[in-house]
Amino acid sequence: MPEWQNFQPFIVSGLALGGVYSLSGVGMVVLYRTTGVLNLAFGAVGAMGAFIAWSLVNTYGWPEALAYLVCVGFGAVISLVYGILAGPPLAGRDPLVKAAATIGLALILLGAMSWIWSDKARSLVLPTTTWRYSVGEVFINWTQIIALALGVLVTLATAAFLRRTGLGTAMRALANDREITAALGVPVRRVEAITWLVSGALAGAAGLLLSNLVGLDAATLTFLVISSLAAALIARLRSLVVTLLAGIVIGLVNAMVTPIFSISSYRDMTPFVLAAVALLFLSRHQQISFARRNR
Amino acid sequence: MRRNGVFVRLTLVLVASTALAACNSNKSPGSTTDSTTAPKCGAGTGQKATGEPIKLGAIATKQPGTDFTDIPNMAKAFFDCVNDNGGINGRPIQYLIETEQTDPGQVAALAKKLVESDKVLGIVGNTSIIECAVNHGYYEQQGFYIIDSGIAPECYSTPNSAAVNMGPRYSVDGATQYLIRQGVKKLVLDQSNVPGTGYIEGGFLLIAKDAGIPTESLKDNVPIQDANSVALKAVQAAGKDGGVVLNFTPPEALKILQAAQQQGLQDSVKWACSTPCNTDYLAEALGPQWNGKLGVNAELNLTTAAGPDSELYRAVQKRYAPNIPLGSFSQMGFVEASIAVKALMSVSGEFTAKSVNEAIKNIKDFKTDILCKPWYYGNAPLHIPNNTDRTVVPQDGKMIEKEGCFPISEVDPAIAQVRQIEAAG
Repeated sequence: MPEWQNFQPFIVSGLALGGVYSLSGVGMVVLYRTTGVLNLAFGAVGAMGAFIAWSLVNTYGWPEALAYLVCVGFGAVISLVYGILAGPPLAGRDPLVKAAATIGLALILLGAMSWIWSDKARSLVLPTTTWRYSVGEVFINWTQIIALALGVLVTLATAAFLRRTGLGTAMRALANDREITAALGVPVRRVEAITWLVSGALAGAAGLLLSNLVGLDAATLTFLVISSLAAALIARLRSLVVTLLAGIVIGLVNAMVTPIFSISSYRDMTPFVLAAVALLFLSRHQQISFARRNR
Repeated sequence: MRRNGVFVRLTLVLVASTALAACNSNKSPGSTTDSTTAPKCGAGTGQKATGEPIKLGAIATKQPGTDFTDIPNMAKAFFDCVNDNGGINGRPIQYLIETEQTDPGQVAALAKKLVESDKVLGIVGNTSIIECAVNHGYYEQQGFYIIDSGIAPECYSTPNSAAVNMGPRYSVDGATQYLIRQGVKKLVLDQSNVPGTGYIEGGFLLIAKDAGIPTESLKDNVPIQDANSVALKAVQAAGKDGGVVLNFTPPEALKILQAAQQQGLQDSVKWACSTPCNTDYLAEALGPQWNGKLGVNAELNLTTAAGPDSELYRAVQKRYAPNIPLGSFSQMGFVEASIAVKALMSVSGEFTAKSVNEAIKNIKDFKTDILCKPWYYGNAPLHIPNNTDRTVVPQDGKMIEKEGCFPISEVDPAIAQVRQIEAAG
């Protein structure tokens, strides 16, 4: 077992990744609660945004800040387009069908990324990564700080937004009962479209951060959605705060296991193990269903 | 209203498709013509070969995430150049490329198809994850001598396979030797957690033990999802004055190296990498912070090297295969095709599978400036004709030579056996 000192840099790394998992998880939960869609294309949307940003900077010489905005904007727009095109026809279908449809979007984006950018080695380093300082022997850079802070801030801001604004109330009402909400005069399509837009923007931001923290690789970024999904499942696709905490715990455990060589090879199981344990614990007195009630 | 809705959706799809196509900036220009002088290959007559084709074949892996077809495609480019220059005594080479998806049944069937149905006279340019393991027995039975780019251990340990590269095990050996020369006190090998890693680390362990240096072997699942932690783990395992050898594909190696840099770890240990890292794309992505800090084992010369073969390679690529990037893969295809053409040129009499394979087997002292020393085939229980390598390092977005040709250590038993075979002539 390594000494405590050796674990310290892994804590920083784990907190940063955990922050982004939380950010993605919150985006998924809000979208699910409003539209009933578990968006498994969340990672692919962010990945494609990051690749576009890379091309704009490295091929077309765009200013970095503008390219990063395009990344976030791409996530928002592609999600909105998907929501407009696929949302209405799938509105009455089972949640499983809706989730499977997003796998289709993920595969289209993954294929497009392979076609456009191939699998050559690329890197996207945010300027904030070069701003760093050391605490003892541990280096901390500002991208890591931003990753964690953004996860926390987005969770708190979203929770406040849902409670204190009219649109938030409409979204919560949709989460409870789509038909009654529509009957009450809430513009369901518009509320759903806004949710897709915001959730997509979060996917873009998460993709940007992960392409720096993990690497600019289409498959990796696409399948990192698994960790975020685990965080959302631990929160039973309801609580934003639990999603935040679960995301951070997944990131931390994953990183802290790394220097323990005997179990290091199994650390990719972390999200599955934690999700399974949490769901078993939560279901000890009840039956869990992800199907929406009162459709 | 309904028609309008459909129209809006179709328009959105069209706009998205156009935007995607516009992003496709990576593709090289499609035009294959240019104003440069046509390269002279083979007989160099400048006349198109029009006789009865001589059939050669190849099998390459092509599946999501693993595409080795650049190698036979570059071999085809060279054959096309030969065909435009008189072919083989007026006969063009017809080159059949089959692709496989790591299915042993499919790979075995493709070899039979090429040999028994297509009646190819020789097999050149094979590059597959499993092909050597699956088909070496069949080729031995049929009397086919394969010129390939090796991956599986059987490519380097069976009598009817000779590769132009040296494969991951001996490339890791070369990277390990580089770090030992750098004076490291401990060696760590980090590689992807896939079948075959035990075979690859065998040479690393022997060479480190021979040098009296302690070792640690790490394996990481790919794609790597927590590069910062992987980089930290490797650096901690190596410790002060240690060295880390990476054996990953370029994108995965880049993740680790970039994460090391972000955590200020690029100077904490000495870094080395096996051949896949030898690409200018990696050097460019790493940036100047890594100038001279990553020793990469190079099985072939730099693509920018001087020398008649390197110049011909670039000219053939430019004219016949502009969509294939310059790099070790296309160099391998070029060298394999060059060897095959030399063998075909030496056939006197009728072209049959027997005469062509006999000519391939008899190749010796094939000199090219793309390899460190002459390549050969010959009668032997195993072939590792490329067993002398270079070390390159990134420098301002390019790979440059750090160390000239050096022999891979004979501490690795197969290399020792090959040197004995070479000494015996």
